[in-house]
Amino acid sequence: MSTIVRRGTRVQEGQIRFHYDGREYFGQPGDTAASALLAQGVRHFGRSVKYRRLRGVMAAGSEEPNALLTVGTRPAVIPNVPAPRLTLHEGLVLRSQNRWPTLSVDLASLLQIGGGFFGAGFYYKTFMWPNWRTYEPIIRRLAGLGEAPGACELPPVAVENCSCDVLVAGAGAAGLAAARAAARAGATVVLCEREPVCGGELEFEGGTIEGRESLNWVAATLTELAGLGARVLTDTDLVGGSDGQVVLHRQRGGIAGADTLYRVRPRSVVIATGAVERPIAFIDNDRPGVMLLGAAECYLARYGVRVGREAVLFANHDRVYAAAARLAAGGMQVRAIVDTRSASTGVGNSLRAELERTGTQCLSGHAVIAVEGGREVRAVRVAPLAGSGPERRIVCNVLLQSGGWSPNTQSGAQDGGAREYSPGLAAFVAAEQPLWRAFAGTANGRLELCDVLADGQIAGEHAARQAGCATGAGAGAVTAIDARGDGAPRLVAFWRSPSPPQLEKKQFIDLQNDVTVADLRTALAEGFSDIEHVKRYTTLGIGTEQGATSAVLGAAILAELKGVPPGAVGISRPRAPFAPVTMQSLAGLRVGSAFRISRRTPLHAWHAAHGGVLESSGLWLRPRYYLANGPDAFTAGIAEARRVRATGGIVDGSTLGKIEVAGPDAAVFLDSMYLSKASTIKAGRGKYMVNLREDGMVLDDGLVLRLAPDRFVATTSSGHADHMLSHFEHYRDTQWNGRAVTLTDVTEAWAVIAVAGPQSRATLQRVLGSAWHEILTRLEHMGFADGHFQGRDLRVLRASFSGELAFELHCRPGIAVTLWQTLNDAGLGPYGLEALDILRVEKGYLVSSELNGETTPHDLLMDGLVKLGNPCLGRELLDRPGLHKPARPRLVGVRARDGRSKFLAGAQLCTENERTHPVGYVTSAVFSPTLDQWIGLALLARRLGEDTQLLARDPLRGGDTPLRIVPAVHFDPTGERMKQ
Amino acid sequence: MSRLHCPFCGPRELREFRFHKTLPTEPGTAFAGIYERIDNPELSVEHWQHVEGCRGWLRVTRNPSSGAVLETRLLGGGVA
Repeated sequence: MSTIVRRGTRVQEGQIRFHYDGREYFGQPGDTAASALLAQGVRHFGRSVKYRRLRGVMAAGSEEPNALLTVGTRPAVIPNVPAPRLTLHEGLVLRSQNRWPTLSVDLASLLQIGGGFFGAGFYYKTFMWPNWRTYEPIIRRLAGLGEAPGACELPPVAVENCSCDVLVAGAGAAGLAAARAAARAGATVVLCEREPVCGGELEFEGGTIEGRESLNWVAATLTELAGLGARVLTDTDLVGGSDGQVVLHRQRGGIAGADTLYRVRPRSVVIATGAVERPIAFIDNDRPGVMLLGAAECYLARYGVRVGREAVLFANHDRVYAAAARLAAGGMQVRAIVDTRSASTGVGNSLRAELERTGTQCLSGHAVIAVEGGREVRAVRVAPLAGSGPERRIVCNVLLQSGGWSPNTQSGAQDGGAREYSPGLAAFVAAEQPLWRAFAGTANGRLELCDVLADGQIAGEHAARQAGCATGAGAGAVTAIDARGDGAPRLVAFWRSPSPPQLEKKQFIDLQNDVTVADLRTALAEGFSDIEHVKRYTTLGIGTEQGATSAVLGAAILAELKGVPPGAVGISRPRAPFAPVTMQSLAGLRVGSAFRISRRTPLHAWHAAHGGVLESSGLWLRPRYYLANGPDAFTAGIAEARRVRATGGIVDGSTLGKIEVAGPDAAVFLDSMYLSKASTIKAGRGKYMVNLREDGMVLDDGLVLRLAPDRFVATTSSGHADHMLSHFEHYRDTQWNGRAVTLTDVTEAWAVIAVAGPQSRATLQRVLGSAWHEILTRLEHMGFADGHFQGRDLRVLRASFSGELAFELHCRPGIAVTLWQTLNDAGLGPYGLEALDILRVEKGYLVSSELNGETTPHDLLMDGLVKLGNPCLGRELLDRPGLHKPARPRLVGVRARDGRSKFLAGAQLCTENERTHPVGYVTSAVFSPTLDQWIGLALLARRLGEDTQLLARDPLRGGDTPLRIVPAVHFDPTGERMKQ
Repeated sequence: MSRLHCPFCGPRELREFRFHKTLPTEPGTAFAGIYERIDNPELSVEHWQHVEGCRGWLRVTRNPSSGAVLETRLLGGGVA
């Protein structure tokens, strides 16, 4: 363990113990995984996803493409956490990724020795014989980033909705200036910063602002913001935003579940997310020890970590000299500065002379062309860019590069904001923005501190004005900001070093996805020219960092290969999230039992206590069968169905949707909604009714009961009440323009117990009391009567969904259990959905399998209902010729030709002589205990005769079953049993 | 468009609303209204219901390209 206490802006004294790849390490409070491991000499943080090349840390923020770690122990792991974003805490367990068995010895990395490199499209071109599936399992094992968490309980994440006048993303110089300006104007401000502390580059760049040393200015500004009521969220990423909503994500230390997702609704937004420093492509630029210059400065200033002893700096701008001076002051030996600009482009920088005096070699018009060393950088090779100078070899153990800065415009471009190329910046900046959004500071392409601050202040004032806050004199004068920073970078675009063509496959552009210059060349040669096509073909910028370091570089190199300016190529559209967000955070609280509601009937507890095996039916939980009747659904279902036909049974029908339709226009309204008329129903009677969608397909069916001349209850399929209510309301409020009809969902106001079987009437007469005796005797099919049971409302409707003599008891939920128990005690045992399905298939009754949104009344043998000629919704389109063609389906019954073979719903129907083109399919199939064989309902092309020999083809489950066509009503076709 | 302005309830989250349909831009037969539609990328007139709020049906006019909501009107006479 380290005994030296490091000093930096973020680390404190103290010790934190953690594990990385099974070894124990120590860090200081405030350290990140990257800083602590770098401080202890760790150079390797993983292998690359495709070529399995050893990789180190390249960056100091979420743009890190290489050092992605898996946090935690199985199964509760979080993969792909960038090590520089991972704040240490005691006992943290980390693992490197994309290696097996260990980081040091990885078997798959042998691929790169044997087979050479997998270029773009390699998989598709290579693994073709005999087919892709042969190789897929192996390749899938090798591919992918990290390891997904297994089934585990994680603490729920917090989700917060909030609103504010101005949201400022990024608490660097520009963001702080913007937030302060907006807050001074009286705006409520939320300021989010992805780092744990505010300040951005001010943390290490130095300089003075408004007469203060920059870090003091940061502190003073934060104090002022707090006093003005601004809310500052650190460790918080701007995930993305659209439509006036911005999503922020706060993640702390890779602790599972310790995240917060903020959904913010600001009136205006200032994006001051800074810029990402860009690498340069040269041979073997992915080796451990090749880092971004700014990252090295961050590690030094924040954590007191020297990322190497001897450094070579490689850049295309003036800032490299100030950086070199700071690194040297921090104890690193800067061996050389390789500046791609020719000497004449004016390195008017006094620092250069100073650096040369202290032994730093300064080479202008040179470039690093290659790195030596496989496991880490041992030396770099440097060559002049023009003319024929000598190639030099400079020994070092870290190469720090800076190819300029790419403004973080992603958060503006996700919703389609245009970006344009800025030659002076050699990067893309946000083009025209909507009034409510402004980019500021470095994110807006400003690189000099005074410009950055002024830009931030202007953006903040603008945002406050947009939010409706007065920014005149009354809001308090804002003093001009004077600042002194690193000065103009005088950058000259430089994208990649010269390379012989055969080594372009080692000039990496996207390190996370192993995309090289050679891949771009291949993509172009194969006709992928547009940047969006190239992105998809080569996987450029599709990693977890969404091309943070590679998108601009890739676009520029593509432009070079195409021989056009970068602006003509453009830049691919980024996607949210800008930084990885766990699925759990996005799911928020909607996980586990909170994923969706489950509805329970008033009899739920009884079912659960009496062996009811519950299943989800839409949102409802319903008993499928009762364990007392058999060990499984098949056995119990048959036993329950058999008992209903023999004596009787009760089933919980409370899920039946019930909509009360009332008002002077109720009857006329229902006439217009259903295929047959409701206005002809007498009070005290019900009717089976079907309604249609606009296009003529059957929407739903149910019974409509007329309670009074102006009052009806329309029943709907289970789980359909919500939809049907909306459907009715829509029609009332649009076509009817609010005629006098009220619609009320009374589904939960009534529990429903269906009593079916030959003994149903007799049992009810015994159980319900003398008042009901005579009523039950005279109640006709589809008649109902209202009365009481134990002093509470009870409606008894004679209707059957089983073909037996049957009654529906609609009672108040409070007496449902008593009534049910009484019926059960009287000898009517409960049955579940399995038996319900058997009974209704035997009778050819329809459920959603047949009413599937693709069937017309004609398809379902309801020609009689259509003939009634009621001009209802959807009726007009029912006459379309296409709905009457011989190829349209028609409902039929099917049975196995041998009278015993099994077949299942979903089987495709073919004819004996055309076995490859289905002519229909089985919609429902059950084993009928009454008929002692498998029976089913099917939708079959009308052109086929009743004697067609069918084949039910079900290759994945059961093979072929020869079927014959029978009437859709399998049992008791004349309905004798119901009429008793 | 992630919020709609319900004439009853004020600006509410989109998830409280349920989209029903896009109205045909030209008057025509019922068949044309369903099957012969021409999308207008700049203008869409739609029916939405504030299903998790007042249950009012709304006529929303918006620009699908920009996401801007141009008008929200309550449908029906507001019975009951």
